[in-house]
Amino acid sequence: MRPIRFTRAADEAAAIAAAAGPGAAFLGGGTTLLDLLKLDVIRSDELVDVRALPLARIEPIAGGGLRIGALARNTDVAYAPAVREAWPLLSHAILAGASPQIRNMATVGGNLNQRTRCMYFRDVATPCNKREPGTGCAALDGEHRNLAILGVSDKCIASHPSDMNVALAALDAVVHVHGPAGTRTIPIERFHREPGDHPEIDTALERGELVTAIELPRSAFARHAHYLKVRDRASYSFALVSVAAALELDGTTIRAARIALGGVGTRPWRAHAAEAVLAGKALDPAVFQAAADTALEGARPRKHNAFKVELAKRSIVRALATAGGVA
Amino acid sequence: MPASHRVARSRDIDHLPSKNSIEVCGALDWSVRPTGSKLFAMIARPALAPPISFRDELGHTVRLVDPRGGPVVVALASMPLAHDAAAVAGELRAELRGLGATLIVGDPGGYWRMRPDDAVDVLDQAVDDRFAQFGLGSRGQPAPWLAVLVIDAAGAIRFRHVERDRRDASPVAIVLDALRASGRALRAGRAAPLLPITRRELIIGSMVTAFGVALASACRPTPAPQAPPGKPRDAGMLEVTLRVNGRPRSLTVEPRVTLLDALRERLALTGTKKGCDHGQCGACTVMVDGRATLSCLTLAVMHDGAQITTIEGLATGDALHPMQAAFLAHDAYQCGYCTPGQIISAVALVADRRATSDDEVREQMSGNLCRCGAYPNIVAAVQSVRGQSRKD
Repeated sequence: MRPIRFTRAADEAAAIAAAAGPGAAFLGGGTTLLDLLKLDVIRSDELVDVRALPLARIEPIAGGGLRIGALARNTDVAYAPAVREAWPLLSHAILAGASPQIRNMATVGGNLNQRTRCMYFRDVATPCNKREPGTGCAALDGEHRNLAILGVSDKCIASHPSDMNVALAALDAVVHVHGPAGTRTIPIERFHREPGDHPEIDTALERGELVTAIELPRSAFARHAHYLKVRDRASYSFALVSVAAALELDGTTIRAARIALGGVGTRPWRAHAAEAVLAGKALDPAVFQAAADTALEGARPRKHNAFKVELAKRSIVRALATAGGVA
Repeated sequence: MPASHRVARSRDIDHLPSKNSIEVCGALDWSVRPTGSKLFAMIARPALAPPISFRDELGHTVRLVDPRGGPVVVALASMPLAHDAAAVAGELRAELRGLGATLIVGDPGGYWRMRPDDAVDVLDQAVDDRFAQFGLGSRGQPAPWLAVLVIDAAGAIRFRHVERDRRDASPVAIVLDALRASGRALRAGRAAPLLPITRRELIIGSMVTAFGVALASACRPTPAPQAPPGKPRDAGMLEVTLRVNGRPRSLTVEPRVTLLDALRERLALTGTKKGCDHGQCGACTVMVDGRATLSCLTLAVMHDGAQITTIEGLATGDALHPMQAAFLAHDAYQCGYCTPGQIISAVALVADRRATSDDEVREQMSGNLCRCGAYPNIVAAVQSVRGQSRKD
C-alpha cells in the first residue's frame, strides 16, 4: 500500500473539511477501501476516519419510518429488532452478504459506496473505464460471466455487488448526505448511477459529501417479503442473481409489489414495470412469470452471462412465490 | 536452486571488491543510531564478514551471505544459547521474518541456523576461535560474552553489538533486542537498507552487481536529520495503544500498517495468520472489542484503546480455551494455517448465540476458509462447545 495520511474527524464539519482534497477518502469500516488501496485500484493518500462521529444509531422516525445512521455496522442493522420486525427484507439481504467478520466491520454508509467486484476493475494491469476513464473495457470481450446484463453501456458492464442496496432499492430508502454545500437527501434510486459514458462515477455524491444516514419509510411489505440470492457457493459469495421481492396482499390478491434485482444490474435494479404487472392480480405462477419476463425485457447479455436472463426470471418467480407463501 | 548456481555465486562472493573499496565510503554517516537501542550500534565503517562457510545437514554449503538477498544475523556466544532460543523461537522467527533474515548462532555446542519458516539446522563447523574469526577478542583481550552482527546482502557487517561482561540479561533476549533494533531502524528508514536492492533483482543479478549497487546506495548522501525527540520522528507516524490480550501495547506506526501486520511484525504475535490479505479467507480473524474482525482489512491506528484478542490470548496459562481443546479433540484441522482464525470465529459464534443447527454454524463460520477441507470436524468441534455453553 502506498503511504497515507490519517486523520480522525471529531465532528461532521471537520470530516467534510478534511475530505475536501482530491486524494481524500472517508474511512468507515474499511472493508472496501483498504482492499482497493492494497490493490492500488484506489489511490487516496488521505484517509479521514469518521468512526468517532455519532452516526451509528438506529431509531424510529415520525410516520412509522426508521433512521439508520451511516456508521451502523451491517451486523447491527441486520439484527436490530426494529429492522427484523418491520423491514425483514433488509435484514435478510444484509445477512446474505459477505461474512460475519465483514458484516461486523462494514458500515451502512460504506456499503452504499461499495465498488464493483469486476475482476478487471480490480486488476490494474488491465484496461478499465471505471478505474481509469478512457482506457477501454476489458470485460466486454473478456471474462464477464458474473457481470451485468441490465443498465450496461459500451463503456462498462460492471455489476453492482451489494445485497443491502438491493433491499434498500425495494424499500424506497432515502439517503441523507452532508457536504461542503450543506445537507441534502437523495432517493436511493437516484443514488447509484448507470455507467453510461462515465462509468468512473458510481454515485450521485459530490466531492466531500458524507453519507450520514438512510431513512426507510413505513413499509406495508413486512409480512410477505423474501430475499433470494443465487450464487456459486452456498455462502460468502457475490450474487449471480439476487431478488428482493415483497408483496402487499389482500387475501390472495396482490395490492402492490416490490421487486429489485442484484447481480444483474450495473446498479441495484428496481423493476417498476414488473411491479405494475403484478398490481391487482392474483397470486399465480403465470402472473409471476409475466412479471419476470417484463423485468428482463431490457436485458443486454453478452457471451458468458446470457444464462443470467433465464436465471433471473426463474429467481423472480421463486422469490415472488416464496414471498406470497405459495412456493 | 541447482548446485551449479550456488558454486557460481560463492565464487563471485570470493571475488568481491576488497575491504579497502568499502572504506572509500568512509565519509558516510553511519552514526545514526537505531531507535532507542542502547544495545546496538551501527558501525562506522562496514567491514566485510569473514569468508566462513559451513555445511548444513543436507550437505549444502552455507555462507554468511544469504544467496536470497536477506541479511544474515550472526550471534556468537560463550555460553550455550540453544535451550533459551527454543523457548522464544516464535518471537525469534517473527523478527527474522520481519527482517527477511537468517540467524546463525555459534555457541560452545557448535553452529546452528534458524530461518523464519524452516526447522533449525545444525551446521558442521564447531570452532573455538569463533570470536577471533570476526576480529573480536583477538588482541590479548578476553573473548566477549556475546556478540551480534548483522551482515547485509553484500557481505558487509552493518550492525555490531558486543557484550563483554553484562550477564544480567538473558543472552537470547539480547539477540532478540538486536533483531528488533535492526528491524526498527530499517522500518523507520534511518538506516541504509540492509537489502540494497530487492530480492527479485538480487536473484536475477549476480552478487557482484549486488555489491556494486550496495556501494552506490551506501555512498548516497545521508538522509536529512530527523525531527527532534518528543515529536513524531517521521511525518505521519502515529502513536497507538492496543490492548492486546489484556496488555496495553503502545506502538508508533505508519497509518498504512494493518492491524494484522502490527500484531505479527511488531508485537511478534504470529498466531494470527496472513492468508489472502484481502478479506477473503478469514485466516487473520481476531476479536476487536468482542467482535470477530478481519485484521487484514483494518488499520492499527483505527484501534487506539481497543481490546484485541488473538489466538494467543485464549488459553489461561497451560489450560486451553474450551474451543482450542475441542478443535484438538475433534481433529478439526490438517495443516493448521486457518485454525487460529477458525477458533476466534468459533468463540465469537458461541458468544453471539446466533447459530444452533449445523447449517447455521456453517453459515456463521463461512468467512473462514479451510483449504484442507476440515469443515465437518470444525462443525463438530464448534457444536460440542456450543452444546456445553448452552447448559451453562
